Amino acid sequence: METKRFYIFSPGLRLWHWVNFFAILALFITGLYIGNPFFLGPIGYEATYAYDKGITMDLIRKIHFVAGYVFLSGFIFRVIIALFSKRDRLIIPPFWRRDYWIGLKEITLKYSLIMRDKEGNEYIRNAYARSVYPLIYLLFLFMIITGFAMYGMSNPGGLWASLFGWIIPLLGGEFMTHMWHHWIAWIIIIFAILHFYLVVREELIKQNGELTSMFTGYKVFEKEPVDIEDIKE
Amino acid sequence: METFWETFKRHGLSRRDFLRFSTTITGIMGLSPSMIPKVVQALETKPRVPVLWVHGLECTCCSESFIRSATPLASDVLLTMISLEYDDTLSAAAGEAIEKHREEVIKKYWGNYILAVEGNPPLGEEGMYCVVGGKAFLENLKETAKGAKAVIAWGSCASWGCVQAAKPNPTTAVPIHKVITDKPIIKVPGCPPIAEVMTGVIMHLVLFDSVPPLDSQGRPKQFYGNRIHDTCYRRAFFNAGQFVERFDDDGAKKGWCLYKVGCRGPTTYNSCGNIRWYNGLSYPIQAGHGCIGCAEEDFWDSGPFYERLTNIPLPNVEANPDKVGAALAAAAAAGAVVHGVLSKIRNK
Repeated sequence: METKRFYIFSPGLRLWHWVNFFAILALFITGLYIGNPFFLGPIGYEATYAYDKGITMDLIRKIHFVAGYVFLSGFIFRVIIALFSKRDRLIIPPFWRRDYWIGLKEITLKYSLIMRDKEGNEYIRNAYARSVYPLIYLLFLFMIITGFAMYGMSNPGGLWASLFGWIIPLLGGEFMTHMWHHWIAWIIIIFAILHFYLVVREELIKQNGELTSMFTGYKVFEKEPVDIEDIKE
Repeated sequence: METFWETFKRHGLSRRDFLRFSTTITGIMGLSPSMIPKVVQALETKPRVPVLWVHGLECTCCSESFIRSATPLASDVLLTMISLEYDDTLSAAAGEAIEKHREEVIKKYWGNYILAVEGNPPLGEEGMYCVVGGKAFLENLKETAKGAKAVIAWGSCASWGCVQAAKPNPTTAVPIHKVITDKPIIKVPGCPPIAEVMTGVIMHLVLFDSVPPLDSQGRPKQFYGNRIHDTCYRRAFFNAGQFVERFDDDGAKKGWCLYKVGCRGPTTYNSCGNIRWYNGLSYPIQAGHGCIGCAEEDFWDSGPFYERLTNIPLPNVEANPDKVGAALAAAAAAGAVVHGVLSKIRNK
Protein backbone atom coordinates (compact mmCIF):
# COMPACT_ATOMS: atom_id res chain seq x y z
CA MET A 1 0.00 0.00 0.00
CA GLU A 2 1.14 3.52 -0.70
CA THR A 3 2.42 5.31 2.38
CA LYS A 4 3.51 8.86 3.14
CA ARG A 5 6.26 10.01 5.49
CA PHE A 6 5.49 13.07 7.56
CA TYR A 7 7.93 15.12 9.59
CA ILE A 8 6.31 15.38 13.02
CA PHE A 9 8.82 16.06 15.80
CA SER A 10 11.30 18.92 15.73
CA PRO A 11 14.91 18.27 16.82
CA GLY A 12 14.38 20.47 19.88
CA LEU A 13 11.39 18.45 20.97
CA ARG A 14 13.20 15.15 20.49
CA LEU A 15 16.18 16.39 22.47
CA TRP A 16 13.93 17.65 25.25
CA HIS A 17 12.03 14.35 25.35
CA TRP A 18 15.16 12.31 26.04
CA VAL A 19 16.74 14.76 28.44
CA ASN A 20 13.44 14.80 30.29
CA PHE A 21 13.33 10.99 30.26
CA PHE A 22 16.70 10.70 31.99
CA ALA A 23 15.94 13.56 34.38
CA ILE A 24 12.66 11.97 35.48
CA LEU A 25 14.31 8.59 35.87
CA ALA A 26 17.03 10.06 38.08
CA LEU A 27 14.54 12.18 40.01
CA PHE A 28 12.22 9.28 40.66
CA ILE A 29 14.85 6.80 41.83
CA THR A 30 16.64 9.30 44.06
CA GLY A 31 13.29 10.65 45.25
CA LEU A 32 12.19 7.20 46.41
CA TYR A 33 15.33 6.97 48.53
CA ILE A 34 14.90 10.47 49.94
CA GLY A 35 11.31 9.65 50.94
CA ASN A 36 12.31 6.34 52.46
CA PRO A 37 16.07 5.77 52.87
CA PHE A 38 16.00 1.99 52.41
CA PHE A 39 19.71 1.25 52.69
CA LEU A 40 22.31 2.30 55.19
CA GLY A 41 25.08 4.81 54.53
CA PRO A 42 28.75 4.11 55.18
CA ILE A 43 29.62 2.60 58.55
CA GLY A 44 32.82 3.05 60.46
CA TYR A 45 33.27 6.77 59.91
CA GLU A 46 32.31 9.68 62.09
CA ALA A 47 29.10 11.08 60.59
CA THR A 48 30.82 14.40 59.98
CA TYR A 49 33.28 12.72 57.60
CA ALA A 50 30.95 10.01 56.25
CA TYR A 51 28.78 12.18 54.01
CA ASP A 52 31.11 11.82 51.01
CA LYS A 53 32.00 8.14 51.49
CA GLY A 54 30.11 6.12 48.87
CA ILE A 55 26.39 6.41 48.24
CA THR A 56 25.01 8.60 51.00
CA MET A 57 21.89 10.67 51.48
CA ASP A 58 24.06 13.68 50.72
CA LEU A 59 25.06 12.33 47.28
CA ILE A 60 21.56 11.13 46.45
CA ARG A 61 20.08 14.50 47.35
CA LYS A 62 22.72 16.21 45.24
CA ILE A 63 21.78 14.04 42.23
CA HIS A 64 18.11 14.81 42.89
CA PHE A 65 18.78 18.56 42.94
CA VAL A 66 20.98 18.52 39.84
CA ALA A 67 18.36 16.46 37.98
CA GLY A 68 15.77 18.93 39.25
CA TYR A 69 17.67 21.81 37.69
CA VAL A 70 17.94 19.84 34.43
CA PHE A 71 14.21 19.14 34.56
CA LEU A 72 13.46 22.84 35.16
CA SER A 73 15.79 23.96 32.36
CA GLY A 74 14.15 21.40 30.07
CA PHE A 75 10.71 22.71 30.93
CA ILE A 76 11.73 26.29 30.16
CA PHE A 77 13.31 25.10 26.88
CA ARG A 78 10.08 23.27 26.03
CA VAL A 79 8.03 26.43 26.55
CA ILE A 80 10.42 28.46 24.40
CA ILE A 81 10.34 26.07 21.43
CA ALA A 82 6.56 26.01 21.64
CA LEU A 83 6.55 29.78 21.31
CA PHE A 84 8.59 29.72 18.12
CA SER A 85 7.42 26.66 16.26
CA LYS A 86 3.91 25.59 15.35
CA ARG A 87 4.63 21.86 15.37
CA ASP A 88 5.77 22.10 19.01
CA ARG A 89 2.49 23.66 19.99
CA LEU A 90 0.17 20.65 20.02
CA ILE A 91 -0.29 21.04 23.77
CA ILE A 92 -3.80 22.44 23.94
CA PRO A 93 -6.51 19.88 23.00
CA PRO A 94 -8.55 21.36 20.08
CA PHE A 95 -11.91 20.68 21.70
CA TRP A 96 -13.53 23.40 19.59
CA ARG A 97 -12.93 21.30 16.47
CA ARG A 98 -15.08 18.47 15.16
CA ASP A 99 -12.15 16.20 14.26
CA TYR A 100 -11.06 16.16 17.94
CA TRP A 101 -14.41 14.71 19.05
CA ILE A 102 -14.54 12.23 16.17
CA GLY A 103 -11.01 11.22 17.05
CA LEU A 104 -11.98 10.82 20.70
CA LYS A 105 -14.79 8.43 19.68
CA GLU A 106 -12.55 6.49 17.31
CA ILE A 107 -9.67 6.06 19.76
CA THR A 108 -12.08 4.93 22.48
CA LEU A 109 -13.50 2.28 20.15
CA LYS A 110 -10.00 1.24 19.09
CA TYR A 111 -8.68 0.92 22.64
CA SER A 112 -11.78 -1.06 23.66
CA LEU A 113 -10.97 -3.44 20.76
CA ILE A 114 -14.31 -2.78 19.05
CA MET A 115 -12.79 -0.99 16.06
CA ARG A 116 -9.67 -2.15 14.22
CA ASP A 117 -6.75 0.26 14.44
CA LYS A 118 -6.38 0.58 10.68
CA GLU A 119 -10.01 1.64 10.27
CA GLY A 120 -11.17 5.22 10.64
CA ASN A 121 -9.10 8.37 10.22
CA GLU A 122 -5.40 8.90 10.76
CA TYR A 123 -4.19 11.49 13.24
CA ILE A 124 -0.74 12.84 13.90
CA ARG A 125 -1.62 12.64 17.57
CA ASN A 126 -4.66 10.79 18.88
CA ALA A 127 -7.30 12.51 20.97
CA TYR A 128 -6.35 10.74 24.21
CA ALA A 129 -2.76 11.88 23.90
CA ARG A 130 -3.94 15.36 23.08
CA SER A 131 -6.09 15.43 26.21
CA VAL A 132 -3.58 13.87 28.61
CA TYR A 133 -0.34 15.66 27.65
CA PRO A 134 -1.49 19.08 28.90
CA LEU A 135 -2.34 17.49 32.25
CA ILE A 136 1.10 15.89 32.39
CA TYR A 137 2.72 19.25 31.68
CA LEU A 138 0.72 20.68 34.59
CA LEU A 139 1.99 17.87 36.81
CA PHE A 140 5.55 18.64 35.68
CA LEU A 141 4.98 22.25 36.61
CA PHE A 142 3.53 21.19 39.97
CA MET A 143 6.61 19.07 40.68
CA ILE A 144 8.91 21.95 39.75
CA ILE A 145 7.04 24.40 41.97
CA THR A 146 6.75 22.11 45.00
CA GLY A 147 10.27 20.76 44.51
CA PHE A 148 11.96 24.13 44.30
CA ALA A 149 9.76 25.50 47.09
CA MET A 150 11.00 22.78 49.46
CA TYR A 151 14.55 23.15 48.14
CA GLY A 152 14.46 26.91 48.51
CA MET A 153 12.91 27.10 51.96
CA SER A 154 16.21 26.19 53.59
CA ASN A 155 16.79 29.88 52.92
CA PRO A 156 13.34 31.48 53.31
CA GLY A 157 14.50 34.88 52.08
CA GLY A 158 16.22 33.50 48.99
CA LEU A 159 15.34 33.45 45.31
CA TRP A 160 13.65 30.03 45.08
CA ALA A 161 11.67 30.58 48.25
CA SER A 162 10.35 33.91 47.02
CA LEU A 163 9.54 32.42 43.58
CA PHE A 164 7.79 29.25 44.73
CA GLY A 165 7.36 29.45 48.52
CA TRP A 166 3.73 30.53 48.16
CA ILE A 167 2.66 26.97 47.29
CA ILE A 168 3.47 25.66 50.79
CA PRO A 169 0.61 27.29 52.75
CA LEU A 170 -1.77 26.45 49.88
CA LEU A 171 -1.03 22.75 50.31
CA GLY A 172 -1.44 22.95 54.09
CA GLY A 173 2.14 23.28 55.26
CA GLU A 174 5.52 21.97 54.31
CA PHE A 175 4.93 18.40 55.46
CA MET A 176 1.92 18.09 53.17
CA THR A 177 3.99 19.63 50.36
CA HIS A 178 6.45 16.74 50.76
CA MET A 179 3.55 14.29 50.60
CA TRP A 180 2.01 15.85 47.49
CA HIS A 181 5.39 15.89 45.78
CA HIS A 182 5.69 12.17 46.55
CA TRP A 183 2.19 11.20 45.38
CA ILE A 184 2.40 13.11 42.10
CA ALA A 185 5.78 11.48 41.36
CA TRP A 186 4.02 8.11 41.30
CA ILE A 187 1.32 9.43 38.97
CA ILE A 188 3.98 10.61 36.52
CA ILE A 189 5.66 7.18 36.61
CA ILE A 190 2.33 5.41 35.99
CA PHE A 191 1.79 7.80 33.07
CA ALA A 192 5.25 6.90 31.74
CA ILE A 193 4.42 3.16 31.84
CA LEU A 194 1.15 3.66 29.95
CA HIS A 195 2.81 6.09 27.53
CA PHE A 196 5.49 3.53 26.71
CA TYR A 197 2.92 0.76 26.27
CA LEU A 198 0.68 2.76 23.95
CA VAL A 199 3.64 3.74 21.78
CA VAL A 200 4.77 0.11 21.50
CA ARG A 201 1.20 -0.98 20.78
CA GLU A 202 0.88 1.52 17.93
CA GLU A 203 4.18 0.35 16.48
CA LEU A 204 3.30 -3.35 16.75
CA ILE A 205 -0.07 -2.94 15.05
CA LYS A 206 0.66 -0.33 12.39
CA GLN A 207 4.47 -0.47 11.90
CA ASN A 208 4.20 3.26 11.30
CA GLY A 209 7.45 4.37 12.93
CA GLU A 210 5.74 5.48 16.14
CA LEU A 211 8.54 4.03 18.25
CA THR A 212 11.39 5.50 16.20
CA SER A 213 9.71 8.85 15.55
CA MET A 214 11.10 10.27 18.78
CA PHE A 215 14.58 9.62 17.35
CA THR A 216 14.06 10.38 13.65
CA GLY A 217 11.20 12.86 13.80
CA TYR A 218 9.24 11.02 11.05
CA LYS A 219 6.06 8.94 11.10
CA VAL A 220 4.52 6.97 8.26
CA PHE A 221 0.81 7.23 7.39
CA GLU A 222 -1.30 5.36 4.85
CA LYS A 223 -3.53 8.36 4.30
CA GLU A 224 -3.14 12.01 5.15
CA PRO A 225 -3.84 12.67 8.84
CA VAL A 226 -6.92 14.85 9.35
CA ASP A 227 -5.12 17.15 11.79
CA ILE A 228 -2.06 17.62 9.58
CA GLU A 229 -2.73 21.39 9.41
CA ASP A 230 -1.56 21.60 13.05
CA ILE A 231 2.06 21.01 12.07
CA LYS A 232 2.24 22.78 8.71
CA GLU A 233 4.34 25.87 9.11
CA MET B 1 5.15 54.87 83.77
CA GLU B 2 8.87 54.62 84.56
CA THR B 3 11.51 53.48 82.07
CA PHE B 4 13.62 50.35 82.45
CA TRP B 5 16.66 52.36 83.46
CA GLU B 6 14.65 54.07 86.18
CA THR B 7 13.42 50.70 87.36
CA PHE B 8 17.02 49.47 87.49
CA LYS B 9 18.05 52.49 89.55
CA ARG B 10 15.09 52.07 91.88
CA HIS B 11 16.17 48.47 92.50
CA GLY B 12 19.69 49.66 93.34
CA LEU B 13 21.30 48.02 90.30
CA SER B 14 24.44 49.51 88.77
CA ARG B 15 24.96 51.00 85.31
CA ARG B 16 27.22 48.00 84.58
CA ASP B 17 24.34 45.60 85.37
CA PHE B 18 22.11 47.62 83.11
CA LEU B 19 24.56 47.48 80.17
CA ARG B 20 25.16 43.78 80.66
CA PHE B 21 21.41 43.21 80.58
CA SER B 22 21.08 45.33 77.43
CA THR B 23 23.79 43.34 75.66
CA THR B 24 22.26 40.00 76.60
CA ILE B 25 18.79 40.81 75.36
CA THR B 26 20.21 42.22 72.11
CA GLY B 27 21.65 38.77 71.46
CA ILE B 28 18.46 36.99 72.48
CA MET B 29 16.42 39.09 70.09
CA GLY B 30 18.65 37.94 67.27
CA LEU B 31 20.10 41.41 66.62
CA SER B 32 23.69 42.22 65.74
CA PRO B 33 26.05 43.79 68.33
CA SER B 34 25.86 47.06 66.42
CA MET B 35 22.29 47.38 67.69
CA ILE B 36 23.38 47.47 71.37
CA PRO B 37 23.43 51.31 71.58
CA LYS B 38 19.88 51.45 70.21
CA VAL B 39 18.71 48.85 72.71
CA VAL B 40 20.38 50.81 75.54
CA GLN B 41 18.73 54.01 74.35
CA ALA B 42 15.36 52.32 74.12
CA LEU B 43 15.70 50.90 77.63
CA GLU B 44 16.61 54.35 78.94
CA THR B 45 13.73 56.18 77.33
CA LYS B 46 10.81 53.81 76.61
CA PRO B 47 8.15 53.58 79.27
CA ARG B 48 6.81 50.16 80.17
CA VAL B 49 4.10 48.95 77.85
CA PRO B 50 0.77 47.76 79.15
CA VAL B 51 0.00 44.18 78.15
CA LEU B 52 -3.32 42.36 78.30
CA TRP B 53 -2.90 38.59 78.24
CA VAL B 54 -6.10 36.70 77.49
CA HIS B 55 -6.75 32.95 77.50
CA GLY B 56 -9.13 31.09 75.20
CA LEU B 57 -9.30 27.41 74.38
CA GLU B 58 -5.86 26.23 75.44
CA CYS B 59 -3.90 24.23 77.99
CA THR B 60 -1.79 27.06 79.51
CA CYS B 61 1.40 25.37 78.29
CA CYS B 62 2.41 28.72 76.76
CA SER B 63 2.26 30.39 80.17
CA GLU B 64 4.10 27.43 81.69
CA SER B 65 6.81 27.81 79.09
CA PHE B 66 6.96 31.59 79.51
CA ILE B 67 7.56 31.50 83.27
CA ARG B 68 10.62 29.29 82.64
CA SER B 69 12.39 31.91 80.56
CA ALA B 70 15.95 32.24 81.85
CA THR B 71 17.40 35.04 79.70
CA PRO B 72 15.81 37.34 80.59
CA LEU B 73 14.03 35.91 83.62
CA ALA B 74 10.28 35.83 83.17
CA SER B 75 9.93 37.68 86.46
CA ASP B 76 12.12 40.50 85.09
CA VAL B 77 9.96 40.77 82.02
CA LEU B 78 6.72 40.71 83.96
CA LEU B 79 7.73 43.01 86.77
CA THR B 80 10.14 45.49 85.22
CA MET B 81 9.75 45.45 81.44
CA ILE B 82 6.07 45.25 80.74
CA SER B 83 3.11 46.24 82.76
CA LEU B 84 0.97 43.12 82.81
CA GLU B 85 -2.44 44.63 83.41
CA TYR B 86 -4.58 41.59 82.90
CA ASP B 87 -3.99 37.85 82.89
CA ASP B 88 -6.84 35.72 84.15
CA THR B 89 -4.46 32.90 85.05
CA LEU B 90 -1.73 34.89 86.79
CA SER B 91 -3.86 37.59 88.41
CA ALA B 92 -4.32 37.72 92.14
CA ALA B 93 -7.69 39.34 91.72
CA ALA B 94 -10.50 37.33 90.20
CA GLY B 95 -14.06 37.45 89.00
CA GLU B 96 -15.82 40.75 88.44
CA ALA B 97 -12.96 42.82 89.84
CA ILE B 98 -10.45 41.69 87.24
CA GLU B 99 -12.97 41.84 84.38
CA LYS B 100 -13.82 45.42 85.37
CA HIS B 101 -10.12 46.22 85.45
CA ARG B 102 -9.76 44.85 81.90
CA GLU B 103 -12.45 47.19 80.65
CA GLU B 104 -10.81 50.14 82.40
CA VAL B 105 -7.38 49.33 80.98
CA ILE B 106 -8.78 49.10 77.47
CA LYS B 107 -10.22 52.61 77.85
CA LYS B 108 -7.20 54.09 79.59
CA TYR B 109 -4.54 52.83 77.17
CA TRP B 110 -6.69 52.78 74.02
CA GLY B 111 -4.44 52.25 71.00
CA ASN B 112 -1.32 51.78 73.11
CA TYR B 113 -1.51 48.37 74.75
CA ILE B 114 -0.38 45.02 73.44
CA LEU B 115 -2.81 42.13 73.36
CA ALA B 116 -1.29 38.71 73.95
CA VAL B 117 -3.63 35.87 73.08
CA GLU B 118 -3.07 32.39 74.39
CA GLY B 119 -5.47 29.86 72.93
CA ASN B 120 -8.14 30.48 70.36
CA PRO B 121 -11.86 31.17 70.09
CA PRO B 122 -14.35 28.46 69.11
CA LEU B 123 -17.01 29.76 66.75
CA GLY B 124 -19.51 26.91 67.24
CA GLU B 125 -22.70 27.61 69.24
CA GLU B 126 -21.92 31.33 69.11
CA GLY B 127 -18.68 30.80 70.98
CA MET B 128 -20.30 29.08 73.96
CA TYR B 129 -17.61 26.37 74.08
CA CYS B 130 -15.33 28.86 75.78
CA VAL B 131 -16.76 31.31 78.26
CA VAL B 132 -14.70 33.79 80.31
CA GLY B 133 -16.37 35.96 82.94
CA GLY B 134 -19.83 35.00 81.73
CA LYS B 135 -19.15 36.10 78.16
CA ALA B 136 -18.10 34.13 75.13
CA PHE B 137 -14.32 34.32 74.71
CA LEU B 138 -14.97 35.20 71.08
CA GLU B 139 -16.65 38.46 72.17
CA ASN B 140 -13.99 39.19 74.80
CA LEU B 141 -11.28 38.74 72.20
CA LYS B 142 -12.87 41.02 69.61
CA GLU B 143 -13.57 43.67 72.24
CA THR B 144 -10.03 43.59 73.64
CA ALA B 145 -8.41 43.55 70.20
CA LYS B 146 -10.17 46.73 69.09
CA GLY B 147 -7.94 49.10 71.03
CA ALA B 148 -4.74 47.10 70.78
CA LYS B 149 -1.59 48.41 69.12
CA ALA B 150 -0.45 44.94 68.15
CA VAL B 151 -1.54 41.39 68.83
CA ILE B 152 0.68 38.48 69.77
CA ALA B 153 -0.64 35.01 68.95
CA TRP B 154 0.96 32.77 71.57
CA GLY B 155 1.48 29.19 70.58
CA SER B 156 0.01 26.94 67.92
CA CYS B 157 -3.55 27.43 69.26
CA ALA B 158 -3.68 31.13 68.51
CA SER B 159 -1.48 30.85 65.41
CA TRP B 160 -2.88 27.77 63.65
CA GLY B 161 -5.65 26.22 65.74
CA CYS B 162 -3.70 23.31 67.23
CA VAL B 163 -5.34 20.28 68.83
CA GLN B 164 -8.83 21.74 69.30
CA ALA B 165 -8.93 22.65 65.61
CA ALA B 166 -7.67 19.21 64.52
CA LYS B 167 -10.11 17.13 62.52
CA PRO B 168 -13.04 16.96 63.07
CA ASN B 169 -12.81 20.22 65.07
CA PRO B 170 -16.09 19.79 67.01
CA THR B 171 -16.13 23.32 68.43
CA THR B 172 -15.08 25.06 65.18
CA ALA B 173 -12.02 26.51 66.87
CA VAL B 174 -10.17 28.93 64.60
CA PRO B 175 -6.80 30.70 64.82
CA ILE B 176 -7.15 34.31 65.97
CA HIS B 177 -6.30 35.84 62.58
CA LYS B 178 -9.69 34.61 61.38
CA VAL B 179 -11.35 36.80 63.99
CA ILE B 180 -8.97 39.77 64.29
CA THR B 181 -8.39 41.11 60.82
CA ASP B 182 -7.47 44.76 61.28
CA LYS B 183 -4.42 44.53 63.59
CA PRO B 184 -0.85 43.39 63.04
CA ILE B 185 -0.62 39.85 64.41
CA ILE B 186 2.68 38.28 65.39
CA LYS B 187 2.43 34.51 65.30
CA VAL B 188 4.61 32.75 67.82
CA PRO B 189 3.73 29.12 67.11
CA GLY B 190 4.88 26.07 69.02
CA CYS B 191 3.18 23.83 71.52
CA PRO B 192 4.39 25.61 73.57
CA PRO B 193 6.73 28.20 72.03
CA ILE B 194 10.25 28.36 73.44
CA ALA B 195 10.35 30.59 76.54
CA GLU B 196 13.20 32.77 75.24
CA VAL B 197 11.37 33.21 71.93
CA MET B 198 8.33 34.50 73.83
CA THR B 199 10.30 36.98 75.91
CA GLY B 200 12.35 37.93 72.83
CA VAL B 201 9.21 38.82 70.88
CA ILE B 202 7.82 40.87 73.76
CA MET B 203 11.10 42.75 74.16
CA HIS B 204 11.27 43.57 70.48
CA LEU B 205 7.76 45.00 70.62
CA VAL B 206 8.48 46.98 73.74
CA LEU B 207 11.96 48.27 72.93
CA PHE B 208 11.52 49.18 69.28
CA ASP B 209 7.87 50.03 69.48
CA SER B 210 7.40 48.07 66.27
CA VAL B 211 6.49 44.62 65.06
CA PRO B 212 9.59 42.45 64.45
CA PRO B 213 10.29 41.49 60.81
CA LEU B 214 7.79 38.77 59.92
CA ASP B 215 7.91 36.03 57.27
CA SER B 216 5.10 35.34 54.80
CA GLN B 217 3.27 33.35 57.48
CA GLY B 218 3.45 36.16 60.04
CA ARG B 219 6.14 34.61 62.22
CA PRO B 220 9.17 36.62 63.47
CA LYS B 221 12.02 35.85 61.07
CA GLN B 222 14.71 35.84 63.72
CA PHE B 223 13.13 32.86 65.50
CA TYR B 224 11.30 31.03 62.71
CA GLY B 225 13.72 31.62 59.84
CA ASN B 226 15.25 28.15 59.90
CA ARG B 227 14.09 24.59 59.72
CA ILE B 228 14.93 22.52 62.77
CA HIS B 229 16.51 20.09 60.28
CA ASP B 230 18.92 22.75 59.05
CA THR B 231 20.04 23.63 62.58
CA CYS B 232 19.97 20.10 63.99
CA TYR B 233 23.13 18.74 65.57
CA ARG B 234 22.18 15.29 64.16
CA ARG B 235 22.14 16.60 60.59
CA ALA B 236 25.49 14.93 59.84
CA PHE B 237 23.87 11.51 60.36
CA PHE B 238 21.13 12.46 57.89
CA ASN B 239 23.64 13.44 55.21
CA ALA B 240 25.65 10.29 55.87
CA GLY B 241 22.54 8.11 55.52
CA GLN B 242 22.67 6.79 59.08
CA PHE B 243 19.13 6.43 60.35
CA VAL B 244 17.39 5.09 63.43
CA GLU B 245 15.02 2.33 62.27
CA ARG B 246 13.43 1.60 65.66
CA PHE B 247 13.66 3.34 68.99
CA ASP B 248 15.48 0.38 70.58
CA ASP B 249 18.01 -0.31 67.85
CA ASP B 250 21.73 0.30 67.75
CA GLY B 251 21.36 3.51 65.73
CA ALA B 252 19.10 5.00 68.40
CA LYS B 253 21.76 4.31 71.03
CA LYS B 254 24.41 5.92 68.83
CA GLY B 255 22.26 9.01 68.37
CA TRP B 256 21.66 8.70 64.62
CA CYS B 257 19.14 10.72 62.61
CA LEU B 258 15.47 10.21 63.53
CA TYR B 259 14.14 10.89 60.01
CA LYS B 260 12.84 7.37 59.43
CA VAL B 261 10.98 7.24 62.73
CA GLY B 262 8.94 10.25 61.68
CA CYS B 263 11.01 13.27 62.73
CA ARG B 264 9.34 16.44 61.39
CA GLY B 265 12.52 18.50 61.67
CA PRO B 266 12.79 18.80 57.86
CA THR B 267 9.42 20.55 57.65
CA THR B 268 9.32 22.56 60.87
CA TYR B 269 10.41 26.13 61.44
CA ASN B 270 11.49 26.93 64.98
CA SER B 271 14.53 27.74 67.10
CA CYS B 272 14.71 24.41 68.96
CA GLY B 273 17.96 23.54 67.19
CA ASN B 274 19.82 26.66 68.29
CA ILE B 275 18.14 28.26 71.33
CA ARG B 276 16.93 24.87 72.68
CA TRP B 277 14.87 24.47 75.86
CA TYR B 278 15.34 24.94 79.61
CA ASN B 279 18.03 27.58 79.29
CA GLY B 280 19.66 25.78 76.38
CA LEU B 281 19.77 22.38 78.08
CA SER B 282 18.15 20.17 75.45
CA TYR B 283 15.36 19.74 72.90
CA PRO B 284 13.26 16.78 71.75
CA ILE B 285 15.71 15.44 69.14
CA GLN B 286 18.58 15.71 71.61
CA ALA B 287 16.48 13.66 74.03
CA GLY B 288 16.16 10.92 71.39
CA HIS B 289 12.63 11.61 70.15
CA GLY B 290 11.81 12.96 66.71
CA CYS B 291 10.33 16.42 66.29
CA ILE B 292 6.53 16.25 65.97
CA GLY B 293 6.37 19.58 64.14
CA CYS B 294 4.39 21.33 66.89
CA ALA B 295 5.10 24.78 65.45
CA GLU B 296 3.57 23.90 62.08
CA GLU B 297 0.05 24.34 60.81
CA ASP B 298 -2.25 21.32 61.32
CA PHE B 299 0.54 19.17 62.69
CA TRP B 300 -2.05 16.96 64.40
CA ASP B 301 -3.56 16.08 61.04
CA SER B 302 -0.29 15.39 59.23
CA GLY B 303 -0.31 11.66 59.82
CA PRO B 304 1.26 9.50 62.53
CA PHE B 305 4.15 11.16 64.38
CA TYR B 306 6.33 8.09 63.96
CA GLU B 307 6.13 7.64 60.20
CA ARG B 308 7.98 9.55 57.53
CA LEU B 309 5.60 8.84 54.64
CA THR B 310 2.08 9.08 55.91
CA ASN B 311 -0.75 7.02 54.56
CA ILE B 312 -2.68 8.29 51.60
CA PRO B 313 -5.58 10.34 52.98
CA LEU B 314 -8.43 8.43 51.37
CA PRO B 315 -11.34 7.14 53.42
CA ASN B 316 -10.83 3.55 54.58
CA VAL B 317 -7.42 3.28 52.96
CA GLU B 318 -4.51 2.47 55.24
CA ALA B 319 -1.62 2.26 52.86
CA ASN B 320 1.86 3.56 52.42
CA PRO B 321 2.10 5.70 49.24
CA ASP B 322 5.11 3.74 47.95
CA LYS B 323 3.19 0.46 48.26
CA VAL B 324 0.10 1.91 46.57
CA GLY B 325 2.24 3.49 43.86
CA ALA B 326 4.14 0.26 43.18
CA ALA B 327 0.90 -1.74 43.11
CA LEU B 328 -0.72 0.69 40.66
CA ALA B 329 2.40 0.73 38.47
CA ALA B 330 2.44 -3.10 38.43
CA ALA B 331 -1.27 -3.17 37.62
CA ALA B 332 -0.72 -0.69 34.79
CA ALA B 333 2.12 -2.80 33.38
CA ALA B 334 0.15 -6.06 33.67
CA GLY B 335 -2.91 -4.41 32.14
CA ALA B 336 -0.75 -3.14 29.31
CA VAL B 337 0.57 -6.63 28.53
CA VAL B 338 -2.92 -8.16 28.52
CA HIS B 339 -4.37 -5.31 26.46
CA GLY B 340 -1.42 -5.52 24.09
CA VAL B 341 -1.94 -9.23 23.41
CA LEU B 342 -5.69 -8.72 22.87
CA SER B 343 -5.03 -5.74 20.57
CA LYS B 344 -2.62 -7.79 18.50
CA ILE B 345 -5.18 -10.59 18.12
CA ARG B 346 -7.97 -8.14 17.26
CA ASN B 347 -5.85 -6.45 14.59
CA LYS B 348 -4.68 -9.68 12.90
